[in-house]
Amino acid sequence: MIIITTKKLIKQYRKGKIIVPALNDISIKVKQGEYISVIGKSGSGKSTLLNLIGGLDTPTAGDLIVQDKALQSLSRKELAKYRRFVVGMIFQSFNLIPSKTARENISLALIFGGVPGKERKRRACELLDMVGLKDRTDHKPSELSGGEAQRVAIARALANDPEIILADEPTGNLDSSTSSEIIDLLVKLNKQKGKTIIMVTHDEEAAGKVSDRLIRLKDGMVV
Amino acid sequence: MSNLWRTKLRSVLTILGVVIGIGALSSMVSFGVGMQKNLTDAFKKNDLFTSLNVTARSVNLEEISSGNLSNLNEKLQEPVTALNDSVVEMIRKIPGVVVAFPEIRFPVKLRFRDKETNLTLSAVPVGMKSFYPFSEIKKGQFFKNDSSFQLLIREKTLQDMGFKLKDNPEDTSAISGKYILLDTDSVIDSAIDIISKDIDLRGILANPFMVLMSQRRLPFKDTVIPFKLTGIIPEREGFGFDRFGGGVFVPLETSKRIPNLGFDNVWDLLGEDLPGDKYGSVYVRVNDMKMTKAVVDTLKNKGLNVFAFSEELKEIKRAFMIMDSLLGAIGLIALVVAALGIINTMLMSILERTREIGIMKSIGGSEAEIRIIFFVEAASIGLIGAVFGLGLGWLVTRIANAVMNSQLKPQDLPAVDLFSFPLWLILGAIAFSVLISLAAGLYPAIRAARVDPVKALRHD
Repeated sequence: MIIITTKKLIKQYRKGKIIVPALNDISIKVKQGEYISVIGKSGSGKSTLLNLIGGLDTPTAGDLIVQDKALQSLSRKELAKYRRFVVGMIFQSFNLIPSKTARENISLALIFGGVPGKERKRRACELLDMVGLKDRTDHKPSELSGGEAQRVAIARALANDPEIILADEPTGNLDSSTSSEIIDLLVKLNKQKGKTIIMVTHDEEAAGKVSDRLIRLKDGMVV
Repeated sequence: MSNLWRTKLRSVLTILGVVIGIGALSSMVSFGVGMQKNLTDAFKKNDLFTSLNVTARSVNLEEISSGNLSNLNEKLQEPVTALNDSVVEMIRKIPGVVVAFPEIRFPVKLRFRDKETNLTLSAVPVGMKSFYPFSEIKKGQFFKNDSSFQLLIREKTLQDMGFKLKDNPEDTSAISGKYILLDTDSVIDSAIDIISKDIDLRGILANPFMVLMSQRRLPFKDTVIPFKLTGIIPEREGFGFDRFGGGVFVPLETSKRIPNLGFDNVWDLLGEDLPGDKYGSVYVRVNDMKMTKAVVDTLKNKGLNVFAFSEELKEIKRAFMIMDSLLGAIGLIALVVAALGIINTMLMSILERTREIGIMKSIGGSEAEIRIIFFVEAASIGLIGAVFGLGLGWLVTRIANAVMNSQLKPQDLPAVDLFSFPLWLILGAIAFSVLISLAAGLYPAIRAARVDPVKALRHD
């Protein structure tokens, strides 16, 4: 079953009068439960593609259909709901809110998901337990190691139980042993929970080992 | 909310702006409200809202003093209802009227413990017993009946005569020298004389040339009438004044038996008396403020002229409203400056938290939710500012009041409270502050909600 379809997807940025092409005519299909790695040099448009699928950005032209919904036709409000329930995003720099503890960071996503107070605390602890951070619930991001912070981010991405996990170089800031721990966690989510995973990475070797398929980008095009 | 703590100093300074704004606003308005309250209380205490004055004709003193007497003559020709006992009786029967009595007052000489003073004597009926200032008789009691030879005296009158009351017989510390100290208990029921002047008809009849021949002896004679001092009316407090003039009061019927040269009405001087017009004015007490209007209308329909303070107060209230607005405007300026501070702080905060906003959007925060987050922060600044601002305002008014009273005390004036913080002012100030803060947070919140998440996540 196809969960994501892009048809002639084009994204251009405007820098003053110059138009900078980021994605050029991307047409791909992603099946439910697939683990896909997007590879390519920096500036090849990998992150742009991920942001478009994540609903953070809107395409300049072309179709982007996720779960039979055309994202370009959604209102800003509907797009926020899409980001909340359909996709979960993980970033290279973790993007945790520094003033909040691990549990509060996850709770914030649950607040947006409309989970009531008591339930929130239980769910947040459950998610932290699942990523192996049961004893780190009340630590702030500055008190966590890189690997731990990324686990919190993964737990947060799973807060509202989305179908799709989008990971933008999740191991880019981590050493190799921690990296493989994070990759293992993503594989586990893919295999055990059936999550569809699209991961942007530099590391072609590691990506080849775990993913079902590689999508290679160059200058905004699939090669 | 928790963000407010992260940038403590900046938040404190922003809130301080609101504190000063609300402090200024609330103390200013409190002053206006306090002044109005003092006046209204004085009105209420004196039953001015339920007191009416009835005269046969309206007296336009301004017209008389300007020498324009042409209208006056016309007025004198108008048919009017004369004020006599039957009219007073009729007024008493109007529904809502509790007491109605003719106002009788004339100058007399008072003699007490070998001291004499000239003052005005007023007559009141027993029906006034429960009304201010007679309801507040310090020591002693009100008249037994309308024709007893009992007398009430103001504490102030005694003081003017050189007497000071002391409540405790052992108390010798009170002011001495200037005053003769008296035990209050010993004063009650002691003898006091009214000395009234009257035209000496018998003297004139006996020797008609006396008036012409004697330069020294005027055709007056003094009549000494012994009274008993039954009660003392205490010094009024605050801005108080009572509408009953005169230094001593005697029962209504008794007063009619005191010979006097009474003219208590300008009409007595200006023209011949109306046929059957016995009294200059009649005092009417209504049982409830709500009834005042109806009683006034009834009296007017009977062709009587009515003066009601409640009507005057409407004008005074309008004047106070203008004063309150002006005072409020001063406070408002401070609050507007504080609002600019809020806008500035919130915009700074958005700049600093751009990334955080991006994160919230990436995990599914909608624009509405992000707006709410910033609105709550703005409202919190307003709420905290208002609470402390009211505290500051209260403190300032207390200090101002204390300074004011310390000035009054050496002048032997009673302490007053110039300020008033009614509940509506407290709640209103809080609501207003929160509202202003929300308005100040409006633009920053909208801007925060519109942050582009892709750019925000790249932001450092």
